[in-house]
Amino acid sequence: MEQKAMPNRRQFLALSAKVAAMTMLSACGAPKPTEESPATAAPQSEATAVPASTPAPASGEKITVSFMNWWGAERAPLMDACIASFEESHPNIHVVNDNQPWDNREERAATAIASRTPPQVIMTRREETYKFATQDLIIPIDDYVKARNVDLSIFYPSDLNNQRWGGHLWSYPLPGDGGVTSMYLYNKEMLRQAGFDPEKPPKTWQEAETVAKAITKVEDAGIKVIGLDVGATKGAVNEFPGWLYTNNGNYYSEDAKQVLFNSPEGVEALEWMVNFTNQINGGVDKVRDFFAGTENAVTDLPFYLDTQAMWPQGTWVFGHLKNGDPEMYNDKEKWGVALRPYNGNNPKATHRGVSGNYWAWGYVIPKGLPKEVQDAAYEWIEWWITGKDPKGKDGCYFLFEQSQVSAVKECTADKAWYEINPYWDVVVKALQTDVSVPITPVQSQIAAFVDGAIEEAYYGTKTPKEALDSAAEQAQPLLDKFWSGA
Amino acid sequence: MGSQSVTVAESRAGVYARLSHFVRRHRNWVGFVFVLPWFISFLWFDALPFILNLYFSFTDFSIGAKPPTWVGLANYREMLAGDRLVWLSLQNTAYYVGFSVPLAILLGFSLALLLNLDLPGRTAFRTIYYLPSIVPVVASSVIWLILLRTQNGLINQILSFVGIAPIRWLTRPEWTKPALIIMSLWGFGSQMVIYLAGLQGIPDELHEAAQIDGAGSLGRLRHITIPLMTPVIFFNLIMGIIGAFQVFTAAFVMTGEGPLKSTLFFMLHLYDNAFSYYRMGYASALALFFFVIILGFTLLVNWTSDRWVYYGND
Repeated sequence: MEQKAMPNRRQFLALSAKVAAMTMLSACGAPKPTEESPATAAPQSEATAVPASTPAPASGEKITVSFMNWWGAERAPLMDACIASFEESHPNIHVVNDNQPWDNREERAATAIASRTPPQVIMTRREETYKFATQDLIIPIDDYVKARNVDLSIFYPSDLNNQRWGGHLWSYPLPGDGGVTSMYLYNKEMLRQAGFDPEKPPKTWQEAETVAKAITKVEDAGIKVIGLDVGATKGAVNEFPGWLYTNNGNYYSEDAKQVLFNSPEGVEALEWMVNFTNQINGGVDKVRDFFAGTENAVTDLPFYLDTQAMWPQGTWVFGHLKNGDPEMYNDKEKWGVALRPYNGNNPKATHRGVSGNYWAWGYVIPKGLPKEVQDAAYEWIEWWITGKDPKGKDGCYFLFEQSQVSAVKECTADKAWYEINPYWDVVVKALQTDVSVPITPVQSQIAAFVDGAIEEAYYGTKTPKEALDSAAEQAQPLLDKFWSGA
Repeated sequence: MGSQSVTVAESRAGVYARLSHFVRRHRNWVGFVFVLPWFISFLWFDALPFILNLYFSFTDFSIGAKPPTWVGLANYREMLAGDRLVWLSLQNTAYYVGFSVPLAILLGFSLALLLNLDLPGRTAFRTIYYLPSIVPVVASSVIWLILLRTQNGLINQILSFVGIAPIRWLTRPEWTKPALIIMSLWGFGSQMVIYLAGLQGIPDELHEAAQIDGAGSLGRLRHITIPLMTPVIFFNLIMGIIGAFQVFTAAFVMTGEGPLKSTLFFMLHLYDNAFSYYRMGYASALALFFFVIILGFTLLVNWTSDRWVYYGND
């Protein structure tokens, strides 16, 4: 009789399944609708739904905005100063500096935005912004811009364009993505010692070759001194586009529906990169060995050690130089800044930078936040990035303190820049040459094909033309598929 | 007082009896309750993701709010016919598994044999050899990046003493996988301690008897130690295969896809599709395909075990 009362395995499994199912269902259930829920709130398209400033909650409680970003621990004091300044003028909003480690950044961003409790603001790369927008995970800020009459002409057009997708604006840019490929640092002393005028750095590919040949020292064991690396190091995210655009080429057509990187200009650019590397730098292996271990280095970079004469880098480099080699940074006679060389043999080529090919940081607001939280999140973004508060420690301050360029023209034009950086006029020129690349949410996949092609060309398994054509053959169907919505 | 004590004692005895009766009556339930936390976590963290993965593999699904779209076998068709990186990554992974697993077994077993001898300082050596296996892979990868540098790297410095020219471990496609395999051997300590435990379980009488019968060291190793260790070798082989197939962190940190995608392992390809391209549906198909491959290898090794694993009662 007793045995009948005992559960058997089947009963146990059935019970466990019920318990698990109940747990799952309760976890997967839709959030309880609240009065502030976007589902019940007025549609975003109505400009009247957007307040001119965030009203304080009736209860008097502060609204907390969690700001997920990747600015790193070393910039946390600067960020905290900005937040404190913001909170001073916005006592009803509390911003939490959710400073995340860089490791697995993409994974963290994706899982955060896809979770049911995302942070209120997430720092995203341009392509991530586009992906999230395509997936209907974030809100556009057009209505806020309209309702609050934000003057968008304060931004460099290419930087602002990097935050547009599908006819909407999704964020404001910070920092400026300009100058990523359009300039390089050079070591005046090394040019002088090689017999060149340090005030006349190379302007064309051909001049760069001449200077590099004179400076580079390659032995059997490897490179001792390098004049210029044209992108043989791993992950040539910026280098090929940089040389492509200074050869009057384009990555895509203007409508981003056609790949153009395998155009004659693209092939010529890659051929030049490969030939330069093989003939002047002793081949791709030696270049990679030379730079091994320096990818994340702060101090022991060849440029700082006077073993690299020309260093194509973005505007962020000034802050790096300031931290990595303060002595060199302060000795402005030792280094200079010039615009990235263009192909002197191509009459149509000129200095031209690429903006928005990879980074182009924005700050997006996830969908589904209570209205007043969404408003507060926007308030923080606008205040911080547009820098309208002359007394506040906003984005201009944040970037200036780390010698990074802003996408806000007024910040970049600030006299203080010219005082601390005698080459600031070159930087401004570099920003003016920038072109915003029209990318799509499948950019990473296409960039992987191009990276593969560059590798094949460098290692000689394919000619540059074969490699780029092969990459285009893979990329174009992907682009077609994306635009067809399939 | 006396009658009260008897009453309390009777009362206690009654409670124990009822409790005992309850436990006896519900003994299955008690056992099941203890198992329940694990079982629920198994359902939640293993079974459900597996089922969802199976479903997503037939869909076009990203991380967004949009629901998955059923695409049938399209992901599998793309994987088997359209994605050339699948086969390249499988080749790279097979190369890694093919070399790293046998070498790790050989090294772990050999060191365990040595450290099982009654030598002075063997406890210290056991600790020293075991330590690398508990160092996080990310940290050890950074150390190996320095060790494997072409110029001034310790490995090349050592090789130069015997007249070997510097090897471009991380910049030549033909050397990147061997570099990662060598690095993986650094963590042989975890296998070694399992072998040590196994070796200490072999009865001394067997060795003594063999010695009396005239067996030398090699003979005892071949006819006693190795046969009795085959269950342990079998265990390490299965775990090694599963672990090696899933190689990810070392390549992710040290080489990425490597020159000419020479270290694009299957897990890296899967990761790219899931977290760089947000193609969760396709990544699910890759994951399931890879699960089948690993399961296949595991079953194959399991099937062969009848022929070479000795459990003592054969």
